[in-house]
Amino acid sequence: MTTNKLTVSHAPFWHDGDSLFQMNLNILFALLPAAIFGIIQFGTPALGVVALSISTAMLWETVMNLLAKKPLTVGDLDSAVIGMIFGIMLPATSPFWLVVVGTFVAVVIGKMIFGGIGANPFNPALIGMSFLMLSWKVMFDFDTAYVNYDFGFTALAPLAALKFQGAAAIADLFPTGDLIMGKQVGAIGSTFGLGIILGGIYLILRGYIRWEISISFILGIIVTAFCFNMANPQVYGGPAIHLFSGYTLLGAFFLATENSSSPVNKIPMFIYGFSAAVMIILMRNIGVYEDGTVLAILLLNLVNPLVDNIRPKALGKAGNNA
Amino acid sequence: MIKRSFFSLNQPRLLYDLVEPDLKEPESIPLPASLSVLLPEEIDSTKQALIKKGDTVKKGEKLRLYDDSTAYTLSPVAGTIQLFDTYSDDFGKVATFIIIKPDLTKPCEADTIKLDTIEDIEFANQFLRKLPGAPPFEILANDDIKINTIVITCADTDLLSTTNQFVGLMYTDEIKAGAKILKAMTRVPKICITIPEALNTQVNFNSIQVIKTGNFYPSTLPAMIMKDHLNMVLPAGQTPENMGVCFIRAEALVSLARVYETREAVFDKILTLIGKDGTRHRVRATIGTPLSKIFSRFNIHVNEQDRIIIGGPMRGFATFTIHHPVLADMDTVIIQDRDIIPQLSDTPCVNCGKCIRICPVNIPVNLLVRYLEADQYEEAADRFDLESCIECGLCAYVCTARIPLYQYIRLGKHELLTLRADA
Repeated sequence: MTTNKLTVSHAPFWHDGDSLFQMNLNILFALLPAAIFGIIQFGTPALGVVALSISTAMLWETVMNLLAKKPLTVGDLDSAVIGMIFGIMLPATSPFWLVVVGTFVAVVIGKMIFGGIGANPFNPALIGMSFLMLSWKVMFDFDTAYVNYDFGFTALAPLAALKFQGAAAIADLFPTGDLIMGKQVGAIGSTFGLGIILGGIYLILRGYIRWEISISFILGIIVTAFCFNMANPQVYGGPAIHLFSGYTLLGAFFLATENSSSPVNKIPMFIYGFSAAVMIILMRNIGVYEDGTVLAILLLNLVNPLVDNIRPKALGKAGNNA
Repeated sequence: MIKRSFFSLNQPRLLYDLVEPDLKEPESIPLPASLSVLLPEEIDSTKQALIKKGDTVKKGEKLRLYDDSTAYTLSPVAGTIQLFDTYSDDFGKVATFIIIKPDLTKPCEADTIKLDTIEDIEFANQFLRKLPGAPPFEILANDDIKINTIVITCADTDLLSTTNQFVGLMYTDEIKAGAKILKAMTRVPKICITIPEALNTQVNFNSIQVIKTGNFYPSTLPAMIMKDHLNMVLPAGQTPENMGVCFIRAEALVSLARVYETREAVFDKILTLIGKDGTRHRVRATIGTPLSKIFSRFNIHVNEQDRIIIGGPMRGFATFTIHHPVLADMDTVIIQDRDIIPQLSDTPCVNCGKCIRICPVNIPVNLLVRYLEADQYEEAADRFDLESCIECGLCAYVCTARIPLYQYIRLGKHELLTLRADA
């Protein structure tokens, strides 16, 4: 007779093998094409910004874990993803203190004080980004940021040019092909449209982001930009320039889809993605911001709990949904 | 273990296993040196028990704790009672286990109780509740519950398990005979039988209506069968019996037919043993046989920290002892090596939405779990459909954060019942 101790636990006894580490690793992997292209294009300063951003984001989480006397949670790579997204949304010439302050706001105020992973009501990277944009607006002027660079293509930030010169004046400056292939100035990881799209499609196929949000987001950009463009082609740019410049594609695949701040039911996902995109175009065309992606998505994060109440009725439930 | 596929745009689909095409007689396990049976009643030390250590019992003898007990069990062998003590299951529900040492010297015939088999439900409830397959006579005999449909399950409800299909194909005639007896007993107008639609078989069940169940988990769970085939939606918090539907294992009918033929209770339970490498053994063992005897028959070694799963991988339970007895409702035993036991975590929900997409009954699991973690059971039931859960376990199977969701839900339902009972 043996008296081996057996493992006793509750059903189910199987798991599909997925984990937070796997999910975040895949998101980091999907961000690589855009990030590597940015580093090649903007050189070592870009590498420095991305590396510093990832490492400080993880550091802030560790510090918060230690201060709160909680088990270390950096191993799930969630703050690495925040750091990566945050880093590639900065201009390559950002000074180190900007990165450190930004990741502090992103990780500590955006995520940790709400209770860590899964508890954040807003996308943490966007919290950090909006804080910097409101505090040091001049740092995000991509035209002055790259003044010492010699690119061999139009070194004008497309959205700023669109805003201040009108669509007609810049009609020939930004061919769509150039925008997709990264021949534009912008944040480190936001210029190479093709890379972001490939990363996004990879994540959709792997099931790590929800395609409904990305597709409705892109659809929202196209429809709204098209309507404005039709109304006044002299002033308002067409769908292509809106879609392939600024943070739009990052927003579609990596920012709006952040798990804990986005809806999970089908209809809410479509509403959320589409409205975020409509807000972006409204901010760009009517508001004061050149690129409203950050604030538009934060705004939709705010209404996420509300729209996510639209959900199918559970089996056998009497009465209406709460 | 079925892992996530590399591309998983769609939700994972878990295919039910099918019984092997060439059916062989199950392997018989010899009678062990001691057997233990479970009696679903708590020992009350203030009362004088009807049984005591050293009592001799006959095969098929009804064992009860006290004069006023309604719970009983049957002794699967002739022998002596060695011990009885308290057993508690994973939810702390207390029962009594009785260890009986079989007496192999005396001739079997004289020591077996003969039954006056009459086709009456009250008789069945009094003497046949503990047959292999655990027939639900307690429900059928209850006057407060009006059953108008009986569903015989030949399609296994959990993954990997094929015992019900095996019994359904192997003992078709006895099922038909058993169904006839059951019909005469209960006078239930409608009897159906579930068979997996992928099972390529030409079995004729005469007047029994055949329900072809889907290939993917959880299409054979009671609530799903009612929804898909009987056009009934199970209201939240209700059992199929409340809706007039009673599910019964195919094996229970086989046992019933045998009892009425031989006029004595039968105790041979058929079960499927799945080893660490996935090999299946079909076993016939007497109810009460310790699982360790079955393992040693097939040279299966259970090591420290392995897991013994009784039932399927999605809905079964894990036992703490390799001496756990074979029970009347035990279809499948799985041994899981400690290296492949998945780790769980206490990470909070990250709202990835995989549970929402896979839930067959549209429960907002992501919101529900937040309330369950905070012990807000009534809120969880009122607003987030706790009681709609059909307990398939798919949410916990796909959970990225590896939260034991199914455990939270089962616990929540349990606590909710306790709360309501106290109120």
